[in-house]
Amino acid sequence: MAGALWTLVRTDFKVRYHGTAMGFVWAMLKPLAMFIVLMSVFTFVFPSKPDYALNLVLGLFLYDYFQEATKTGLVSLHSKGYLIGRSRFPRWILVVASTANPLVVVATASAAILACLAFAGRMPAPLPLALYLLYVLCFSLIVVGFSLASSVLFVRYRDLNQVWEVVVQAGLFVAPIIYPIDVLPERFHRLVYLWPPSSVIEFSRSVLIEGVPPSLRAHLLLGAATAASLAAGILIYRRLGPSVPEHL
Amino acid sequence: MLIEAHSLRKSFLIPSEQRRTIREHVLGALRRRSFERIHVLDGVDLELRAGETLGIMGRNGSGKTTLLKILCGIYRPDSGDLRVRASITPLLELGIGWNPDLDAVDNVLLMGTIMGMSLAEARRAVGEILDFAQVERFANLELKHYSSGMAARLAYAVAFRAVREVLVIDEIFAVGDVGFKARCEARYLELAAAGHTTLLVSHDPRTIESFCPRALLLDAGHVVLEGSGAEVAEAYVELARRASAA
Repeated sequence: MAGALWTLVRTDFKVRYHGTAMGFVWAMLKPLAMFIVLMSVFTFVFPSKPDYALNLVLGLFLYDYFQEATKTGLVSLHSKGYLIGRSRFPRWILVVASTANPLVVVATASAAILACLAFAGRMPAPLPLALYLLYVLCFSLIVVGFSLASSVLFVRYRDLNQVWEVVVQAGLFVAPIIYPIDVLPERFHRLVYLWPPSSVIEFSRSVLIEGVPPSLRAHLLLGAATAASLAAGILIYRRLGPSVPEHL
Repeated sequence: MLIEAHSLRKSFLIPSEQRRTIREHVLGALRRRSFERIHVLDGVDLELRAGETLGIMGRNGSGKTTLLKILCGIYRPDSGDLRVRASITPLLELGIGWNPDLDAVDNVLLMGTIMGMSLAEARRAVGEILDFAQVERFANLELKHYSSGMAARLAYAVAFRAVREVLVIDEIFAVGDVGFKARCEARYLELAAAGHTTLLVSHDPRTIESFCPRALLLDAGHVVLEGSGAEVAEAYVELARRASAA
């Protein structure tokens, strides 16, 4: 199963960047180029508050991961339908593998942000770094939970991807990415945090850029949200997954 | 006994109006739909012993493919008892199963690992598989440029190499030229001699007579005859003749 999972991730990556001269290198360069453009625009063209550019870039990359991974996860069983009728194997690996490629891109972007912080003499200490990795792990598990559920629903409702596209577009403005959360009245904060990317983005900024870890309660809430998302995804997948081949 | 199936039933609900999107469900919420239940398998019993080759014959729509998919764990039966005590390598629905944007080597690695080979084992077997399928020259060509015959030969080659205990084949030797069919037959005989078990579905009476000491005839979701390959092949020809005359 590990061999199948690795081969799926590797071949997905290959197909995704197929057609470009240096597909693999391009995959790495694309987020880096975006990083340089955004940092330059908000540092030199529209100088703003200190750290606004870094906060924006980190938020955008994390949200881009969420958007890409949930979109590919949603269609994963349908797009890999040609494998489903071939053998008896745990089909959830198709869902998990599909969410792995966007993670490679967010890893590259994270490395660029860390390099930028190191250059500015603000390299985060090991504990904040470990916490950031923990948040990305939670984010990935939330994405996997969502993808498990949505992939089995998509084979029944073939326009679910279009609905989700609208939701994630709107969600870009719900999450505090282009605006600082402080501009909203306190009573709305709870609503903003109901949207999963919000807490991961805010927590990541806290530890990487501000160097202040969120409270224990906040961590527990993120853990609970992750567990709930994963559990709901597994439950829906186990209920609807066995009949997926009949809907393909 | 590697596979035991008793009273397997499978039906599909066919709606009077297909609704496959949220939009169709919402817009049609006030319109009532009727459903027709199609019984594809209606109490099928089957036993497969270690080392034997069991043939299955039946006209189109008799339930053969659904039965194979249930035995392979792809579909779930509505009711009945199914015990599978072996790893099954299916070779169903030729022509699909490949990623057209990947070359033959990557497709072989993908399919081999999905069929249960380890990655190292699949890597070692790539050359042998491409050689069997006679596509070594096109190893780095994307599958979208393959002819349907080449893709089907590759599917046979992977399944023949990946098989663990039970090989389930829908229409064996249905592809390729005379030379490839002879290679398939030779490989099949090697597997049989090595003690592998095979479940073979075919419309070809000669294939069932030649390769299957025991066979089943399916019709309208029922097993209507169990006997030697020759008996079942003869009954199938008669059934098909009566159906075309009616």
